[in-house]
Amino acid sequence: MNSDLLTIKQVSEIIGVSIQTLRRWDKSGKLVSVRKKPSGHRYYSWDSVEEYIESNVKNIFKLARSWIISNPGSEPRPELYCSDSSVFQARLPKLQNELGDIKELSNIFPLILAITGEIGNNSFDHNLGNWPDIPGIFFAHSLKDKKIVLADRGQGVLKTLKRVKPELKDHEKALKIAFTEIISARAPESRGNGLKFVKDVVINNEIDLFFQTGDAQLRIQKGDSDLRIRKSKINLRGCLVSIKF
Amino acid sequence: MTIFLKKFGTTLTGRQFGKESFAAFESSLRDVKEDEKIEVDFEGVITFTPSWGDEFLSPLLERFKDRLFLKNTENPSVQATLRLLEKVHNIKFK
Repeated sequence: MNSDLLTIKQVSEIIGVSIQTLRRWDKSGKLVSVRKKPSGHRYYSWDSVEEYIESNVKNIFKLARSWIISNPGSEPRPELYCSDSSVFQARLPKLQNELGDIKELSNIFPLILAITGEIGNNSFDHNLGNWPDIPGIFFAHSLKDKKIVLADRGQGVLKTLKRVKPELKDHEKALKIAFTEIISARAPESRGNGLKFVKDVVINNEIDLFFQTGDAQLRIQKGDSDLRIRKSKINLRGCLVSIKF
Repeated sequence: MTIFLKKFGTTLTGRQFGKESFAAFESSLRDVKEDEKIEVDFEGVITFTPSWGDEFLSPLLERFKDRLFLKNTENPSVQATLRLLEKVHNIKFK
């Protein structure tokens, strides 16, 4: 755990709320700062910020979203960032242990981990050597809210699928193909089935999935027979994913 | 020969890791006799995914065909992965 103190500006950027809001939260006790002098600047311990992030699912998602949207991009906090696949691979067993300790997840935590692994690894596999700016993925979870969020500033599903299906024109169609057709975007390999696996797991278990790439948003939950894909007003680079269990 | 997958780890995800695992193990396959069965034991594996599975199991299946057998496959992520790999490659694991 990082014991360094963060400034209010840093916390504002990490959490994605204004400095004024943080001052208000400090007074109300929602996220308490530490001050070296009673009238001095506010500082925050990383532990308290992490605890806040852990307990506020909307902010994890919001953080990931604002990270994707930000221009120019920058690396997320180390705790939320996997710069390459080896960092991601190393963090999965830790999450596996944490999920495995939750009694009501005893039957499905391997599946939650498996789809998380497939989504995260997909980001690395499809963007290796081709990251537009910031390599790697945003990866955070909240056990309290039973949610995992992943995001990348990669090329997105449409661009990677176009390598094997040049006729593809829009994100919605690309997203549908990614989740339904067995195809590889890493031509000439005749492989690529991670997102089909994700879909099969979600429709058969108590898991909700949100997946956005470009301006296409997909939602899947248990029992779905059709994919719910809609056009969003906001076009995101890369992919933004939330897994609720 | 029995291949104990837990010796590669309990979280088996990612194509790269799958490829590395197979490459590391490949030399051990040289000693397999012509009629010898290859058993892949999933005991102890907690998380198993199509990306890792495809890179490790598919070359085994290609090489040993009917002599490849899987055991202790009860884990739900193993089950879900095997179902998908069977569909993708139009095969049936024993």
